[in-house]
Amino acid sequence: MNHYNKEVSRIKDDVYSNQWQIDTVIGLKNYMDINFSEKLNLTLFSKIRFVSKYHLLRLFKKYYGLTPNQYLMDKRVEKAKEYIKKGMSVSDACYEVGFESLSSFSSLFKRKTGISPSEYQKSNFR
Amino acid sequence: MKISVISIPVLDQEKALQFYTEKLNFIKKKDVPVGGGNRWLTLVSEEQQDGPELLLEPAPLHFEPSKVYQNALFEAGIPYTQFDVSDVQKEYDRLLELGVEFSMKPTEMGTVKIAVFNDTCGNNIQLVETL
Repeated sequence: MNHYNKEVSRIKDDVYSNQWQIDTVIGLKNYMDINFSEKLNLTLFSKIRFVSKYHLLRLFKKYYGLTPNQYLMDKRVEKAKEYIKKGMSVSDACYEVGFESLSSFSSLFKRKTGISPSEYQKSNFR
Repeated sequence: MKISVISIPVLDQEKALQFYTEKLNFIKKKDVPVGGGNRWLTLVSEEQQDGPELLLEPAPLHFEPSKVYQNALFEAGIPYTQFDVSDVQKEYDRLLELGVEFSMKPTEMGTVKIAVFNDTCGNNIQLVETL
């Protein structure tokens, strides 16, 4: 077994030995991957997994390095990019990924990608 | 400031070009002669053609410390870099079928699944799937 494979085994034992916690955060990520366009209901999710909402938030951040809300926003922006690339209008893409306000969508999009959704749209239809 | 190019050292640029385009399905983006038989040779991922370019850099041939570093990483099984995939097992099966050698089979580690293969140009490369 080479050095790297040994290190991976060690990290698995030292850092990732709590399978219940891992299954819980993976479950939350999958839930967001499917329901990204809905209002995120963490209370419901925490009840299903029998874990407090705040513990769940802490666990997610511990294992994925970002909060569920940051993950969800990244997911929505990625999906919006996909939809705009396929020809959807900026406002349709905004509502389709779960935003209720075009201006908050636009400012988030710009913050995450460096350009506005309409600039992104133009760059894909040149 | 933007990240537009990341580099990977390769022992043979032409061989690397073949491996990365034919096995990994990357696409050649720039190919500029820079003298002495060397090229500014970059690739992009098929799935993200407007993403960062991967520079196939012939450094190990011309700069001994680069070769020493590359060798040391390779011998220890440490990946020089990593690429994201949506399904590590599927990609592992596909590459195995193409004769690619793996030093680590698909392995779950917390919230990721990883596998490591030999790019035949002096490097271990890690595939990563976020679970």
